[in-house]
Amino acid sequence: MTQRPSSSLPAIETRELQKVYRGRAVVDGLTLTVQPGEVFGFLGPNGAGKSTTVKMLLGLVHPSGGEVRVLGGHPSDPAVRSRLGFLPEQFRFQTWMTAEEFLSFHGRLAGLRADELRARIPQVLETVGLGGRGAESLGGYSKGMLQRAGLAGAILARPQLVFLDEPTSALDPIGRVEVREIIEGLRAQGVAVFLNSHLLSEVEQVCDRVAFVKAGRVLRQGSMRELMGDVLPVGVRVDRLTPPLLEALARIGEVRHTDTQNADHADIELWVQRREDVPALANAVHAHGARLYALTPRRPDLETMFLELIEDTPEATSPRQEAAHV
Amino acid sequence: MSDSALSTPQTPSFGRNTLLIAELSLREAVRKRLVIVLLVLTGAFVGFYLYGIFRLEGTLDQRAIDAGLDGRSISGLANAPIVYASAFGMYLVFFLGSLMAVLSTVGAVSADVENGVMQSVIARPVTRAALVLGRWLGFTIVNVSYIALVSAALLGGIYLITGFVPPAPLPAVGLILLAIVVITGLTVLGSTLFSTLANGIGVFVLYGVGFAGGILSTIGSFADSPTLVTLGKVANFVMPTNALWLGASYHLQNAAVLQLGEMARGANPIFGSEPIAVGLVLWACALAILAVLAAMWRFSRKDL
Repeated sequence: MTQRPSSSLPAIETRELQKVYRGRAVVDGLTLTVQPGEVFGFLGPNGAGKSTTVKMLLGLVHPSGGEVRVLGGHPSDPAVRSRLGFLPEQFRFQTWMTAEEFLSFHGRLAGLRADELRARIPQVLETVGLGGRGAESLGGYSKGMLQRAGLAGAILARPQLVFLDEPTSALDPIGRVEVREIIEGLRAQGVAVFLNSHLLSEVEQVCDRVAFVKAGRVLRQGSMRELMGDVLPVGVRVDRLTPPLLEALARIGEVRHTDTQNADHADIELWVQRREDVPALANAVHAHGARLYALTPRRPDLETMFLELIEDTPEATSPRQEAAHV
Repeated sequence: MSDSALSTPQTPSFGRNTLLIAELSLREAVRKRLVIVLLVLTGAFVGFYLYGIFRLEGTLDQRAIDAGLDGRSISGLANAPIVYASAFGMYLVFFLGSLMAVLSTVGAVSADVENGVMQSVIARPVTRAALVLGRWLGFTIVNVSYIALVSAALLGGIYLITGFVPPAPLPAVGLILLAIVVITGLTVLGSTLFSTLANGIGVFVLYGVGFAGGILSTIGSFADSPTLVTLGKVANFVMPTNALWLGASYHLQNAAVLQLGEMARGANPIFGSEPIAVGLVLWACALAILAVLAAMWRFSRKDL
């Protein structure tokens, strides 16, 4: 049971994972796959069921339904958990301990030998930027230092999969860069990282693949390129927007948003598929006798994706939620 | 890189993790100054009580001299005040020990869940059953050692001052310690079921049920009312700690004092005049074990 999984086995695999609290489905048919050694971003608005999902993947919360496999086994198996690292969103630890005692306790729980611990603890303290401060009591640590100590605990026992739940929430900008470097270091060692964060720029910079969740379901998952490569957001500003023009634009790309509030001009947001569609938009404007003030292709980013996805699927999940009550 | 040279951690066994959690609980008790506060306050309590006994002994000696006697018999009725004083002292030890067992253990599991410490611990390869068992073991060691120490200090002090040794001090202290084990087990169970505050209130109410049972039994046998006696038995079954104390008090009284108690037909809710039933002792042991098993089972199913 304790053998290392072969590299082809996903680090995380869930099928129709579900958690119902008092008749309300917090996680509602969540299906996702995380490959070994990849950094996976888990995104969603507040209350989307992200933390509950992480807790189910760690065996802290028992699923109401569906399947979950972590490192080829079930998280309720201690042998599986001995290969996991976890930084909780609420990084609260025994404040009467020193950082070294905290790491020693967790290392022993994880099954590290005493001689390994002696070598490993100063190493991880150095990695998270707490070198030389291990003998201080956690009660005297600042929030940022506590989060760093928690991160040290998460990577202490050489896990194959690390869950980081909002790992930079208490860190300053320097700390955030350091955490990104730690995550990249883990990836270089072949460790899979499950990053739960709503700092989109952070996720964008470090993640290989992301999943968007809302109301306990995965709306979309894939690599950054897969998710964003096929879409090019374009902003168009014209003096006036007539219905025929709007129809013509909609034939070229997907009209996401129109703004006709301003008397002087109208703004249109479109998603087009190809670069060649951009001059086609200009032609359409001219052909309908409108005057073109701006034509702005934008770089697709996670924030656009996030907002579009979350805004586009407002009630999609409510029938399912109702079904889950039965 | 040195990383790859080191082995993958081996999942520690259930027993090893249990001991590790117990050790953590012991260190926590020391580091949170629980142990030092207990020792200082207990030193004050035992010192105060023993000083009272010292003055009592002097008074009794003086009275014997005033009455023209050579001395007092340790086993006679003239020494009854000392016997009562030591038995009452042990009652205080039992009461304070029960209080302290509940207060120290009340958040054994729930407090760590409430303040978020538990999440990172449970994510480790430790089963929840091992965690609960380790917590119970650690707190039981603290509570039992504490009561054993206070009992030894009080009875030893009384012996040094007055020369009085209860007829069977070891069974008496043993029964008190068993009561502490039961209370600790029930408090750990409550700690997996309720919030810390609700648990504290709940266990105190249970303690009250046991005490009420003792009073009902006493009045029942004094007034010869079978109903009250039955109610008392039910209460003893639900919470046997008071019955354990009454059994302990029997071993603390010498023959002369016990005869006094029998003459009063046992009309004393604090001291027992007969030994405890073996069945009740076994039930108390079983209750402690069942409570811990139930706590292990309950916590294993809980969402954190």
